[in-house]
Amino acid sequence: MELNGGSVVAMIGKDCVAIASDLRLGNQAVGVASNFDKVFPVNDKLYYGLPGLATDVYTLKEHLRFRVNMYRMKEEREITPKTFTHLVSSTLYEKRFGPFFIEPVVAGLPTATELDPHPKPFISTMDTIGCITTPKDFAVAGTAQDKLYGVAEGLWEPDLEPEDLFETISQTLLNAVDRDALSGWGAVVHIITHKEVITRTLRARMD
Amino acid sequence: MWKQPAPANSSFNDYNTFPLPQTQRGQSSHAHGPVGHTQQPLVTGTSVLGLKFDKGVMIAADNLASYGSLARFRDIQRLHPLGKHTLLGVAGDMSDFQWLKKELDALLREEDALALSDSHPSLSPKNIYELLSNLFYARRSKMNPVWNAVLVGGWDKVKEESFLAYVDLLGTTYTAPTLATGFGAHLAQPLLREAFEAKAGINGDGPLLTQEEAEKVLDDSMKVLFYRDARSINKYQIATITAEGVSISDSKSSDTYWKFAEGLRGYGAQTQ
Amino acid sequence: MALYSQPPMSYTQEPTTAPVEHRFNPYSDNGGSILAIAGKDFSVIAGDTRQSEGYSIQTRYARKVWQLNDKAVLATNGFAADGTNFVKRVKQRLEWYEHAHHKPMGLKSIARMIQTMLYGKRFFPYYVYNILGGIEEDGTGAVYSFDPVGSYEREACRGAGAAQSLIQPFLDNQIYFKNQQPEAGSEKFVPGNLPLSTVLSLVVDSFTSATERHIEVGDGLEIYVVMQKGRSADDLLDEKKLAPGLKVEELGALGEGEGERTFLVRQSLKRD
Repeated sequence: MELNGGSVVAMIGKDCVAIASDLRLGNQAVGVASNFDKVFPVNDKLYYGLPGLATDVYTLKEHLRFRVNMYRMKEEREITPKTFTHLVSSTLYEKRFGPFFIEPVVAGLPTATELDPHPKPFISTMDTIGCITTPKDFAVAGTAQDKLYGVAEGLWEPDLEPEDLFETISQTLLNAVDRDALSGWGAVVHIITHKEVITRTLRARMD
Repeated sequence: MWKQPAPANSSFNDYNTFPLPQTQRGQSSHAHGPVGHTQQPLVTGTSVLGLKFDKGVMIAADNLASYGSLARFRDIQRLHPLGKHTLLGVAGDMSDFQWLKKELDALLREEDALALSDSHPSLSPKNIYELLSNLFYARRSKMNPVWNAVLVGGWDKVKEESFLAYVDLLGTTYTAPTLATGFGAHLAQPLLREAFEAKAGINGDGPLLTQEEAEKVLDDSMKVLFYRDARSINKYQIATITAEGVSISDSKSSDTYWKFAEGLRGYGAQTQ
Repeated sequence: MALYSQPPMSYTQEPTTAPVEHRFNPYSDNGGSILAIAGKDFSVIAGDTRQSEGYSIQTRYARKVWQLNDKAVLATNGFAADGTNFVKRVKQRLEWYEHAHHKPMGLKSIARMIQTMLYGKRFFPYYVYNILGGIEEDGTGAVYSFDPVGSYEREACRGAGAAQSLIQPFLDNQIYFKNQQPEAGSEKFVPGNLPLSTVLSLVVDSFTSATERHIEVGDGLEIYVVMQKGRSADDLLDEKKLAPGLKVEELGALGEGEGERTFLVRQSLKRD
C-alpha cells in the first residue's frame, strides 16, 4: 500500500452513488505520475476502485474484466453490484496466502427487477483477502483511509442529491488527501445516477 | 611474605573496590554495574480488585506470592493498612511491596509522633496516594521502577466520602468507582462495572451497592479469577474501609465446582 | 591456519541461554484526543475523558485539559503520567512567576516556557503532545501547539492524539476553509472569525466522529472556553442557543482576575 500510495472513497446518496479517487502514482515518497486512475467502470451503473499496489491494480483490473465478460456471455445480462462484489471477493480469496495488495471499493446502482423493484444504491469494500463490508453510508480505502474516515464522518449526511453528493465526496477526498503524503496530485469523481454518470476531474494541491 | 608490589593503578579505583570488578565476556554486563537498576519482578502477587459501595470502599487480593509459575508463598497478605482510614492493595513485586511497607510505616510513625504534640492533621488517603504517585513517577524517571500496581482505598474524613485510586510502576494514575489490576482488569473489571452500573447508573449518580452486595460481587470476581488466572490461589482477603476505619477479613475461599471436569478429556482422571 | 586459531565455539562456550533482557520501558500510550480552536475574542480547548492502555479502558473520566490561569488552558495527550507531571511543573513555574512579578504570565510567554521545559528533557522526553489555548495580551484568541520535544507554533486550530488523523483534515476544511471558495461576488473566507456557537458544534462533531471511528476516543468530552475580557457570554449561557446535551459551568477566576472568563462545557460521548 505504502509503495505506490493512493486512496478511494465511495458514498451513497438519494438514488445515486459516488466513487472518487486521487490520481497519484508514487515510488514511496517520490511522486511519479499524476494521471494514475484507480477507478474503473464495469458498466454504466457500476464502478469500482482499486487502491493499493499499482502492479496489482492492472492485474486485478484485467482479471476482473475477463471474469465480468465471461459472466456477461454466460448469463446474457449485466452483473449486479452485489454479485460483482462477491466476484471480486472470491478473486481475492483465491490468493489467500499470497494476496493482491489491494483494498477494493465497489459502488453501483442496481437495476430494478421483478423481485426487487426498488433496489437501494449499493457500496461495498473489502480487505486484501476479500472480506466484505457493505456500509449504509460511505466506504474508504487506501493510504489516506483514517483521514477519509474522519472527514467523511463529519461531512456525510443521508439522502444527498447528486450535486450535493458530488460536493460532499469531493470535499472529503480533497481534504483527506491533502493531509496524506502518499495520496493527492489530482482527483477524479464519478457520480452514478439512473440517468447518467457524471465524471469530473478535480484540481488539487500538487505538493 | 611480602605483598607483591602492585602496579600503581591496579589496586585502587574510583569506587575503592578490591579486587577490581571485571566484566566477564559473555556475561550480561549489568551484573557488575555499580548500582542495581532495572530489576525484573521476581516474587509476584497477582490481581487486586477495588469497589466503592454506599458506606465506603472494599479492596480484595488473594494470599499468593508466586515465584514465576511456582506458588511459592501461600499465606502472604497483600492488603496493608496505613493509619486509620487508608489501605493499600498491592500487586507486582513482593519485595518492592515490603520495602514500600517499611518506608510508609516509618513515615506514618513520624506523622503519628507529630500528631501527639500539636494539632497536626493526619494524612488523608488522598495525601498518601499523592505521595505514592510522586514516588512511583520519580523512580520510573530514574529508570529504577518500584515494580508494583497499587490500589489505594480509603475514607476521606473531611469530605465524608470514599476514596479509590490506582498507581503503577510507570507513575500512571487514575480513579474510578471500580478498579482492578493485571488480569483482574480483563476478567473482573467487567463484572465489577456491570454490578456497579446496574444500581448507580452509567454516570454513577444513582444509589451505590450495599456492603453485602459489594462483598458478593467481589467474592464472585475472586472466584472467576481463581478459575482462570493461573497465578492466583483460592484464598483471599477483603478489606473494608468505612468512616469507622479499616477492617481486613480473615482469609477465605470460594466454593468451586469441578464436576464438569469429569467429562472433559485433559481435566480429571481419564481412563484413556 | 587462521581458520583454526580459534577453537570452534561449540565446546569452548556453553551455548549460553542468555536470559532475555527485559529492558524497562518507562513509557506508555494512554490514547484519547485533544483539539483547540482560536476565535477572534475567545479560544476553545477540548479533550475526551477516556484513559486507556492497549484494549483496556483504565477509566472513563481522566482529565486531559487543565486550566493554568485566567487566560490560559493546556491540553496534554500521550503518556498520561508524563502529562499530569508536566502540567504540575508548568503550574509551579506559573506560581513562581506570579510571586516574582505580581502578575500572571502572558500566553505567549507560557508557550515559550513550555518549549524550554520540553526541550529541557530532550534526551528523556515527556511523551506528550501539548496544545495551549487562551487569550493573548492583545485580547485575541490563540492556540499554540507543541511536539514532545518543544517545537511549537501559533495556529488557528490544531488536533492531536490518537484521532489526530481523523480530526485535523476536517478542521482544515471547516476552520481554514481549505478546498473551499466563496461564491462569485461574496466575501472572502477569513480563518479565525467563526462565531463561538459554530466552533462549539465543530468541536462536538469532531469528537463524535472520532468516537465513532476510533476505539481510544469516547466516554466524555470537556470543552474549555476562554473569553476576552468584557466579551458577552450570552451565546454560551443561553440554553436555547446551545446544542442539546451540553452542560455549561463558569469557572471562577484563579488569580486577581483581569476580566477574562473561563467556562467548562461538558458532554457525554459513546462508551463503546
